[in-house]
Amino acid sequence: MNTLVIVFIIIVVVILFPIFWYIGTMNSLRQLEVKVEEAESGIDVALTKRFDVLTKLVNTVKGYAKHEAETFENVTKWRQGLPKKLSLQEKQEFMQKMDAVQSGINVAVEAYPELKAEKVFSNLQKSIADVEEHLQAARRLYNSNVSVINTRIVTFPTSIVAGMISMTKKEFFEAESAKREDVEISF
Amino acid sequence: MENKILEFNLIKKKAEQKIKWGSALAILGVAVFFLAGEYGLFGVLLFLPGLFFLITGNIAFKKLNNRFKHEVLTDLVASYVDDGVFIPNQGLSQSQVYSTEFLKRADRFHSEDFLKGSIEGVQFISSDVKLEEEHVEHTKNGTRRYYVTYFLGRVFEFDFNKSFDGYLQVLEKYRPTVKRGYQKIKLESVLFNKKFRTYTTNDHSAFYVLTPHFMEALMTFEQENQGNVGFSFIDNKLFIGLSNFKDTFKLQMFKPISDATFKRFEDELLVIKEVIKELKLNNNIFSKE
Repeated sequence: MNTLVIVFIIIVVVILFPIFWYIGTMNSLRQLEVKVEEAESGIDVALTKRFDVLTKLVNTVKGYAKHEAETFENVTKWRQGLPKKLSLQEKQEFMQKMDAVQSGINVAVEAYPELKAEKVFSNLQKSIADVEEHLQAARRLYNSNVSVINTRIVTFPTSIVAGMISMTKKEFFEAESAKREDVEISF
Repeated sequence: MENKILEFNLIKKKAEQKIKWGSALAILGVAVFFLAGEYGLFGVLLFLPGLFFLITGNIAFKKLNNRFKHEVLTDLVASYVDDGVFIPNQGLSQSQVYSTEFLKRADRFHSEDFLKGSIEGVQFISSDVKLEEEHVEHTKNGTRRYYVTYFLGRVFEFDFNKSFDGYLQVLEKYRPTVKRGYQKIKLESVLFNKKFRTYTTNDHSAFYVLTPHFMEALMTFEQENQGNVGFSFIDNKLFIGLSNFKDTFKLQMFKPISDATFKRFEDELLVIKEVIKELKLNNNIFSKE
């Protein structure tokens, strides 16, 4: 083969290979980013579901714990003011507040054991356990996807492409137990 | 019961002696045939009765095993399993076994020791299953066909009422056999990912079903049960396939029926209870509405 042709092929390969690699890596990072976004919307769905069931649960408990009704009311009112687009930080806070409501309900159940006998209440408790599992699953899926994309973002040579497209490490969704103490809602 | 066990042990010993003497005569016969030169024909005279004893001994042992299953194990099953049904001569059907969706279709299929019932309110069925694949070898002398066992062990089907979208399979070495658009995913546990391959059609559902506790329980099951294991979650059923190359409810040869024998069979039944308890299949979330 002609030497010129060989040199031409080498040059083409040397130029094209980085271009194709760049495009491939960028696409895979973008796909991972979409997966993270999908997982985050999964958290939204689970949070909403949990709030819906929790609201019903609160309404059931209200009948028994009349003097605590006002506090419960605050929780349901707070929902009305909930922004549609929440940041991850806000979602975490939202979840912590619901945790606090949940533990408040548990306290109410301790005080009013007859609640346990209520069919509606026991059904709702069953539902809330299931909804909480969904929320945990959504959180774990999100964190798992974040872990994958973050690993790629910091690993050489993918880190070069990530830097070029200004992709930064994603935040994990963590409900820190220390922060729960700051939640104002109490029973 | 004790008299029955004594009787069984007596029959067992007789069958085992036949097998022992039969084997010795057959081996001696072959040795004489090849080594005794002109007296080699005496070898045939030794081999034939040896073969006869070997065959009749084996038939007697098989019959005894069958009687033991019918007359003793059915009672044992009834004491451990609610509404327990044990049918030694039957097994799961082919369609039930292939519903696991990780056991590929066999060229030769055999199943026995059908077990059905419920423990702690969770319905289950199970049986021993043997799956063989035909191999064809072309040689100078012609074609040789032989069968290779690729699954020998137990298949379980449990009610799994935790409803979720999609399909999920957690497999040690197998692969999904049905095309449902499965994707391989990784969970947070590095150990779990090392041990199992997880296939799902819905990421969220996989994380929903495989809680950290559930993953731990699956790993414990794998550690406590030797062999190759697979779990599939399909249409409100949990299928478990455990290929341990063991005939679960078979009496051991040259070992008398004793408390240890019963303990072994009890342990096999307890595996089902362990699955239900460890995987919390009896949990409220899993219960039928």
